[in-house]
Amino acid sequence: MAAPMELRCWEGDWGLPSVHPESLTVMAYAKFSGAPLTVNTISRSWKAPKGDIPVLISEDKVISQPAKILNFLRKQKYNADYELSAKQGADTLAYIALLEEKLLPALLHTFWIEAENYCSVTKPWFASRIAFPLSLYLPGKMSREALNRILLTKGGPPLYSLTEVEAQIYRDAKECLNLLSKRLGTSQFFFGDTPTTLDAFVFGFLAPVYKVCFPRVQLQEHLKQLPNLCRFCDDILTCYFRLSVSGHSPAGQDTADANLQKLTQLVDKESNLIEKMDDNLRKSPQHPPRKLTTLKLAVHGEESSPFNRLSP
Amino acid sequence: MSLVAEAFVTQLAAAEPWPENAALYQQLKDEQILLSDNASSLAVQAFLQMCNLPIRVVCRANAEYMSPSGKVPFIHVGNQVVSELGPIVQFVKAKGHSLSDGLDEVQKAEMKAYMELVNNMLLTAELYLQWCDDVTVEEITHPRYGSPYPWPLNRILSYQKQWEVKRKMKAIGWAGKTLEQVLEDVDQCCQALSQRLGTQPYFFNKQPTELDALVFGHLFTILTTQLITDELSEKVKNYSNLTAFCRRIEQQYFEVHDKDSSAIAARSAKRSLLR
Repeated sequence: MAAPMELRCWEGDWGLPSVHPESLTVMAYAKFSGAPLTVNTISRSWKAPKGDIPVLISEDKVISQPAKILNFLRKQKYNADYELSAKQGADTLAYIALLEEKLLPALLHTFWIEAENYCSVTKPWFASRIAFPLSLYLPGKMSREALNRILLTKGGPPLYSLTEVEAQIYRDAKECLNLLSKRLGTSQFFFGDTPTTLDAFVFGFLAPVYKVCFPRVQLQEHLKQLPNLCRFCDDILTCYFRLSVSGHSPAGQDTADANLQKLTQLVDKESNLIEKMDDNLRKSPQHPPRKLTTLKLAVHGEESSPFNRLSP
Repeated sequence: MSLVAEAFVTQLAAAEPWPENAALYQQLKDEQILLSDNASSLAVQAFLQMCNLPIRVVCRANAEYMSPSGKVPFIHVGNQVVSELGPIVQFVKAKGHSLSDGLDEVQKAEMKAYMELVNNMLLTAELYLQWCDDVTVEEITHPRYGSPYPWPLNRILSYQKQWEVKRKMKAIGWAGKTLEQVLEDVDQCCQALSQRLGTQPYFFNKQPTELDALVFGHLFTILTTQLITDELSEKVKNYSNLTAFCRRIEQQYFEVHDKDSSAIAARSAKRSLLR
């Protein structure tokens, strides 16, 4: 039995187990390969997030980058790729490089550099999960690092201003999304019916773009026009992340309440329609109240059963 | 460039056919050029040979500063200047020559992904080796990079370039890597390329594409450049189908033209000069 492994990462919101792309990649891979990870999210404690997040702690080993963490999990015999051919393994590496070069800059920009997004969503969210007074400093530092990375890798001449760089990186990201969509086609995962490392990476990068609600969302709008990628994210979320992550049940409850509301509205609409029909047909004052009470009972019955179905 | 500017440039490019006096500019072949720049330049030369477009290689000490994007190589065609393999491929496509038209959508996506893999891993590893490994920097890079300029300009320029490259490495997370880890990454990349190539003559069907040109440029340069140790070229030599691939492209596209035998001249010059 392998030693217990602990993963420290950022927690989730908006229906995701984690908001940070790299943490999400590692969590997805752990789910696909069946590795037993205890997930400890970074909360407002004094154990400040040092260095890179996510961090895997197993016995006395501390491993920090997603690629290294996945290598470690594979060595512990939690391998999601053993059914892949050599060529598919090579394709995995190539597509991961494509994601890092083309999609990651735009993702970083949407989260950390786009002023409206950063000030209204990212900074408050991260600051609320880091202990004071680091919460005043760390989000700013992460933003500066993201800007640095984008400018150094993409910002040389002939692009001389930040707006030109932004236009270029969003164009690259949209092209990358199109390429991924063409590669996925109609199959459920990238290599057949079982998810692999590539699926974990793609999910890790796409899910934050897809789910997090930002004021400026051009990448999300482009992603929503590619239905197979949206279906891919939703499938993984429902199949692999439904019940286990602790941060997920409030979101699950919210969706249950939303479903309930929609159902009640539908039923109310139907009951109104039937009321009108009855009025037209019978024109008698006694029948509607009776019809209403039976309908109300039916409504209650319908209300209780979906609630039972949705609760875990 | 905005979309409008790009469309304008494409129209300009499409207006004239490929001239006879097109020139490719790179740094001085024997004394100045470094591993990564030589690889990029060879990739562009291979691509143009595969498209059957005549090109003349011109070596200038200040090629890096003449280039519109600061990177070599760049081509001067008619009255337009285009640098780096990606934009050059698009420029050539606007003139009506393309190597990847026969590929379907999924294959084009794969080709782009593999080109990113080579740029992400091989090129970055070459840059790391040249500028962040102290022994190589002292003995090879600093003397070569500033060789056309007098002291102290040569030292200042090479220290400036080293600082820039180190900043970039830090931003993408390669600063913390050791040389062994970098060589591991090169090995992984070569393994992926070797597995993708398999027993085929080229990466996609029987026709070469820009991916073949890019891979050839990098692998050939790694194989034929003598550095402090042979570890880098050993990693590539482990995969026999990659060495056979390089030899095949060299024979087919570079030994035909005797006066423009840049590859062969480069090989002999490097062997003798880079001690």
